[in-house]
Amino acid sequence: MRPATLLLCLALAPACVKGNPIELDGDLLTEGGTLRIDGCGYDLTTRYGAEAPRPGTAVFGPDPTPRHVHLGIMGDPKTSVVAQWRTKDDKTLASEIRYAKGASLPAADLVEEKAGIVFAYRSTGAEEIRVHQAHLCGLEPGTSYSYQVGGTDLDGAKSYSPVYTFRTAPDTVAHPDSEVVFGFVGDSRGGYDVWQLLIDELSDRQPDLILFSGDAVTIGLTQYEWEEFFDRAEPLFARVPLVSAHGNHEVNAVNYFSQIALPGDQENFGVDYGFAHITVGNDTPDDISKLAGEFKDKIAADMAKSNSARWKLFMHHQPMFSASTRHGPSQTLQDAWLPLVDQYKIDLVLNGHDHDYEISRPMINKQVQATNDNATVFVVAGGAGAELYDNGSDYWTLYSEKTYNAAVIRVRRDQMTMEAFRHDGTQIPQGFSKSKP
Amino acid sequence: MTRLAVALLVLVARIASADPEADADAAFKRAGQLAVSGDPATVNTAIAAYEQLGSARPITRWTDDAWAEAARLAEFSRDYARARRALEQVLEIGTDDRLVARARAALARIEEEGGPAFDAVRAEHERLASEIYGTDDDPTAALTALGALVEQNPTYPRANAARLALALGWEAEGDRGEAMRWFRAAAEAGRRERGQHARLEYVRALTRAADLAEAETELAALDPTLVDSAGARQAAEKLETAYQRRRLRIGLGIALLVIGIGALALARRDLGSWRALGAKLIRPPIEVWFLLPLALLLSLVALPGNPLIARAVRWIGVAGVVIAWLSGTTLEAARAKAPVSARRALTHGLVVVGCVAAAVYLVVAYVGLLDLLEETWRGGPAMD
Ligand SMILES: [Fe+2]
Repeated sequence: MRPATLLLCLALAPACVKGNPIELDGDLLTEGGTLRIDGCGYDLTTRYGAEAPRPGTAVFGPDPTPRHVHLGIMGDPKTSVVAQWRTKDDKTLASEIRYAKGASLPAADLVEEKAGIVFAYRSTGAEEIRVHQAHLCGLEPGTSYSYQVGGTDLDGAKSYSPVYTFRTAPDTVAHPDSEVVFGFVGDSRGGYDVWQLLIDELSDRQPDLILFSGDAVTIGLTQYEWEEFFDRAEPLFARVPLVSAHGNHEVNAVNYFSQIALPGDQENFGVDYGFAHITVGNDTPDDISKLAGEFKDKIAADMAKSNSARWKLFMHHQPMFSASTRHGPSQTLQDAWLPLVDQYKIDLVLNGHDHDYEISRPMINKQVQATNDNATVFVVAGGAGAELYDNGSDYWTLYSEKTYNAAVIRVRRDQMTMEAFRHDGTQIPQGFSKSKP
Repeated sequence: MTRLAVALLVLVARIASADPEADADAAFKRAGQLAVSGDPATVNTAIAAYEQLGSARPITRWTDDAWAEAARLAEFSRDYARARRALEQVLEIGTDDRLVARARAALARIEEEGGPAFDAVRAEHERLASEIYGTDDDPTAALTALGALVEQNPTYPRANAARLALALGWEAEGDRGEAMRWFRAAAEAGRRERGQHARLEYVRALTRAADLAEAETELAALDPTLVDSAGARQAAEKLETAYQRRRLRIGLGIALLVIGIGALALARRDLGSWRALGAKLIRPPIEVWFLLPLALLLSLVALPGNPLIARAVRWIGVAGVVIAWLSGTTLEAARAKAPVSARRALTHGLVVVGCVAAAVYLVVAYVGLLDLLEETWRGGPAMD
């Protein structure tokens, strides 16, 4: 653990210092736990500071109204999705999802039901936070489903969210003309009015998946910014799954790992979506030596496994190449991970951390290339609301500007494009486009 | 013989009726290769190729995709009429519900931005916004042009976004009057949420410009139901911090001034006359000769790093030299009169340390490093 993190933990959160279990309303929060998810073929593991996950029970608290409904991915996005929510009281244990095939169905038509699971974690200075999850597996690819989450208590009283619609990832073998659209955004911390505007702009562009590059909140351990983050994003996040990279401000907090369902160990993993493979890495490990060790190995394994993917993206928080005068390029990360980017010919690297927009020229081994072929382009788009930093220009910089921003990445079989836009909806003139023979 | 003829006929027939799906797939791919060029003329050719593929019949699985790509490129090229026509084709073909939903959303967005009547205004707005936000050249011409565009088209639905760009642009140019005028206009005239966002931006800008009283008034005028409460809370905290820092700065400034004047008065008393003090001050004391090269060296070392830190190091060097000069002169003056007691030396030393600390704080605040230091403390240091 880095000294600064340790200081923070000591000052603010007993939850992140390993040792004694935490007393919670008479229950013991042990060191997390693991639950096999029926029909999905994977386990859900909660972190230290959270309870072990368990099936919901028909108990309502004082206000069982669902909130912060959002989607995540733990399995194959063609056939599975995780719906996640809390209730207004954070006490309710009743947990289920009602769903059916078809977009925007009335609640009465949601004929399928699946039981949810619950676990609580303790956030600094707050009550216990209780997370509900429902895991849907065995869905049809490229298909819209309507759903609502909530629960029923012993007396048969019901409390459900509005009906939302999501869509599973397309089957690219059956549909070679599939296009998938990723919303790409990061660094919302402390600027949720801008976050709200960008969420609206992203919603207008109808993405299939949100790629969030980290730093959702100022300090991952405190809950109040998470409330703003999820409150404002619910209209989008309830329809579109979120894939997130861990940012330094998340400080490996139990809040982060509990609220965002992600594949594998939630830190270093990969997702196949349409014709793209997205590798995600945590570049702020609790122990910095893991960067070039354990984490590098995990990232390398994922990249090796997905080497035949048509399009390869790599998302992590802190840029290897940034000309911003605030953080700038990271030599540490270049040393640790750049050889993998070159070896596996990653098409696009997605970062945040510097609060501006910057896109690089195509590069191989730190050298600028004349064309995109086999080379990698690095994008910094850390402009989702945190106070802006000055942009800059270095030998790799194709374009940079100091504005709040987000982007959409469109992936087809033979081409990938990225268009970035500002929080006022105007287009940033320099995006990315590449085609493959 | 007959068998051979039949085989030949089958072969000819197969070549003649090539698979339309495969043809469309190849045409789509070719257009895509043109589309990624980035060169406007080639992109224009790509749009035409997509339109041609979209118009070809029979309809294949690529027909609606071709129109969707044509629309995307046309919108990016700021040809909104062409984008609108292509999107309508996607809706008409309607075979892929995902593409249809996206096309409907894109059409709605273009309509919300004013419809055909505002196509030219929007294209000009986009062009000027990129000049203001994006370029390193002098954006004042673009700012003036965008200001005129907004004033000529008050009903343009995105005028508020343009006003905000104007406010931020003029602020970056250092024209506070224009910046504040546009912030205020954006806050008053925007659609309600966006107007409130603009007002929050206005509060932040006023805080940055140290117009704290005005910032407080604007913060009070914020509609709490329409604006991000965390944002408002942070703006309020920032304002409070700005007030505290201002009080601290004024207090430390006065203290340094009083100590400086006091030191000079003390030295004059010890030396007997202002004239003697003047003569003494002209020759730098030994401390200055020691500190000056050190300060120069440190300033040089800091030069290639973070420009804010380099600036801070430079100013701390200047402050250190000034303090050393005054401190050395007063101490020499005292020594010239009588041996300096240990108590006097200790007091002198403590006062000097205090002055240096105050000066360092003032420099760090002056160059704008306080927030960085605070953030590093709160969020952990960046990795390198
Ligand atoms: Fe960061």
